[in-house]
Amino acid sequence: MKRELTPETEVETGTTQVEQWQLDLDRVGFVRRMLLARKWYGGDWWFVVISAILLLGIIILGVFPQFFAPHDPRAEVGPSLLAPGQPPAGYYLILPDESTASELREVARSENDIGYIVGSPASQALREAIDVINEDAAETGERYQPRPRRYNTVEEGLAAVAAGEIDAFIASEGELTDQVETDPQLRNAGIIREAGAQGFFLGTNQLGQDVFSRIIWGTRIALIVGLSSAIVAFVIGVPLGLISGFVSGRFDRGLTLLMDSMYSFPGLILAIAIAAVLGAGIGNIIIAIAVLYIPTYFRIVRGQTLSVKEELYVEAARSLGTRPLTIIWRYIFPNVIPSVVIIFSVNVADAILTGTGLSFLGLGLPPDTPDWGIDLSRGQDYLRRAWWLITFPGLMVTLVTLSFSMLGESLSEILNPRLAEL
Amino acid sequence: MSASLRNFLITRLFLTIPMVLILITMVFLIMRVLPGDPIRSQLGPRVSETQANAIRERLGLNRPLYIQYFNFVWSMVTLDFGTALTQGERPILDELSERIPATIELTIPAMTFTSVFGIFLGALAARYRKKGPDYTIRLFSIIVYSIPIFFMGLLFQILFSVRLGILPLAGRMSPILLRNFESPTNFYVIDSIITQNWAALGSVLAHLVLPSLTLGLALSGVFIRLTRVNMIEMLQSDFITAGRARGIPETKLTYRHALRNTFIPIMTLIGLQFAILLAGAVLTETTFSWPGVGRYLVERIALRDYTAVQSTIAVFAIFVAIITLTMDVLYAFIDPRIRY
Repeated sequence: MKRELTPETEVETGTTQVEQWQLDLDRVGFVRRMLLARKWYGGDWWFVVISAILLLGIIILGVFPQFFAPHDPRAEVGPSLLAPGQPPAGYYLILPDESTASELREVARSENDIGYIVGSPASQALREAIDVINEDAAETGERYQPRPRRYNTVEEGLAAVAAGEIDAFIASEGELTDQVETDPQLRNAGIIREAGAQGFFLGTNQLGQDVFSRIIWGTRIALIVGLSSAIVAFVIGVPLGLISGFVSGRFDRGLTLLMDSMYSFPGLILAIAIAAVLGAGIGNIIIAIAVLYIPTYFRIVRGQTLSVKEELYVEAARSLGTRPLTIIWRYIFPNVIPSVVIIFSVNVADAILTGTGLSFLGLGLPPDTPDWGIDLSRGQDYLRRAWWLITFPGLMVTLVTLSFSMLGESLSEILNPRLAEL
Repeated sequence: MSASLRNFLITRLFLTIPMVLILITMVFLIMRVLPGDPIRSQLGPRVSETQANAIRERLGLNRPLYIQYFNFVWSMVTLDFGTALTQGERPILDELSERIPATIELTIPAMTFTSVFGIFLGALAARYRKKGPDYTIRLFSIIVYSIPIFFMGLLFQILFSVRLGILPLAGRMSPILLRNFESPTNFYVIDSIITQNWAALGSVLAHLVLPSLTLGLALSGVFIRLTRVNMIEMLQSDFITAGRARGIPETKLTYRHALRNTFIPIMTLIGLQFAILLAGAVLTETTFSWPGVGRYLVERIALRDYTAVQSTIAVFAIFVAIITLTMDVLYAFIDPRIRY
């Protein structure tokens, strides 16, 4: 049962005056304690709350990506390199006026030339239309395979049609100029692909995959890599630190030297080496990253163990004949937890960054995994044309890392007694 | 040189040896003992077992592990890394000595930027602890820390090269100038100054801006945070309170008195940052096609050039050990208390 708050009472305990809010804090439940905490933690309290909410959302996204992603992340769902929100354009077949043809089929033989703007989605529209024609013609055994001719501008392409150099030209609605209507030598033979009604929220990549869906599915990979490697490092690093700090002696010195050497080594490079040797696979990535963070846990836990084991209650336990393992587990480990929790949070952030870095370098994950690092490294090839391929996966990495490190950072500001007492 | 300083230096130097040895052993363990056959993976399945064995023979991979280990350590001591398996089969030492200056040329401006920028902001945050500027700066530092360094680089490329077109996209200098460029030291800035090639100098500097800014900004997050924590402690110390009591203005207290004394812990930080710096350099170099050691490592991993990879990583290890040693020695010169 909760007691009433008594705001006006002054209580003396020993010689030190206890602040009223500290007394209030002891009496209230967890939720109200959190709300009260805002009073003196100020900005850090907000940092914790905001990052906790963000993390909750991210974790839901990572656990149930299928509910949020509109498309299969690996499927080709639209034309390639479609800008965010832009609906797929319709494509028209432009023929020379004297041509007797009336549809694509008649100019799509292997001896025909069909022009389009280089690098535009027209090539894909044409390919799809040809595929449909080929499917229809499969029974007769005929193959339609026109020769592609690439042009830099619509004008060049249309001039080529008018001059009879090519048999047809594919142009999108946007590219169609009045020239087609006014020029007597040109004729618009109709649509080869309908314009899409709806675009893709964050556009599509070079393979026609939905960027938005890939980002959402990427959350799962990032969380798996980040959390598992932090957990593996925790499970190995913490016991090693506890034992090493408790036992001391030669074992401790050797292990500390090893851990310090590993700690001083650039983490990413170590991970690169391990990932390169182990080969592709998410399990290998997790191992490679986990190895980096074992020294982090080891150092912190060992340091704390060294100081905690001098405490009187440990001394007392030891004199009562408590087994060393029990002392470590029951008396020392609980004192180490708070600082380890903070490290864990920052660690997950770091692990996600490292994991993304590894897959950006082409190490670790199979090439078509919906992973942010892979998306970023592929997007680099389309830097000039498709900013959305880089911006959105990158923002997502930043957001997730930010949430984890903000949580760790502000928790440590709140919990770190050395700074808090200042 | 006092006796205590000399003793410290000697002890420190001897302590470096086991550290380097451990790092090299670690590299060896990773490359040779972890599951995975580097020769198989390099050659692919189509090459016959006899050919694979011939290569193993040549590289000494069929000998007992402890002999391989001694050979490996010896090759590190003599800096004789052997020849690369791919791309011209040149001695790895030659290839690395071309790449190392590029990495150094990238990291020095980055480090300078991050030190100045990070220390300034960190001190500012400490001075206004728990007030607006503090929260803003801390938020900034967390954001900067959370942005993947290659993403920041790509964004800069999109903004400054593709959109605004004011800075070059990638590389160390424009390919046209590179054709007639004499490069005795491989430090392009130094080379262009000593050959008085001012056009080249302009190009080199312009190419340097984005990569070093990216690397510097990415590192500044940690720097801000650590400066801030140290400054906060310093600002609580007695001599600051005494100064405040004497009526010394707060700004002067922060930047003249407290900051100066914070430099010692910050010095150590700069040393520790080098490890992060090298890791960041790998990603930055890949993003900006910067022909440094980091990119070399990534390229050779892609080509599965196993000897080149292990030597490069070992060189990184030696690098780290040297930097740690230098920092400790500098530290001992600055702060007499450290020489136990």
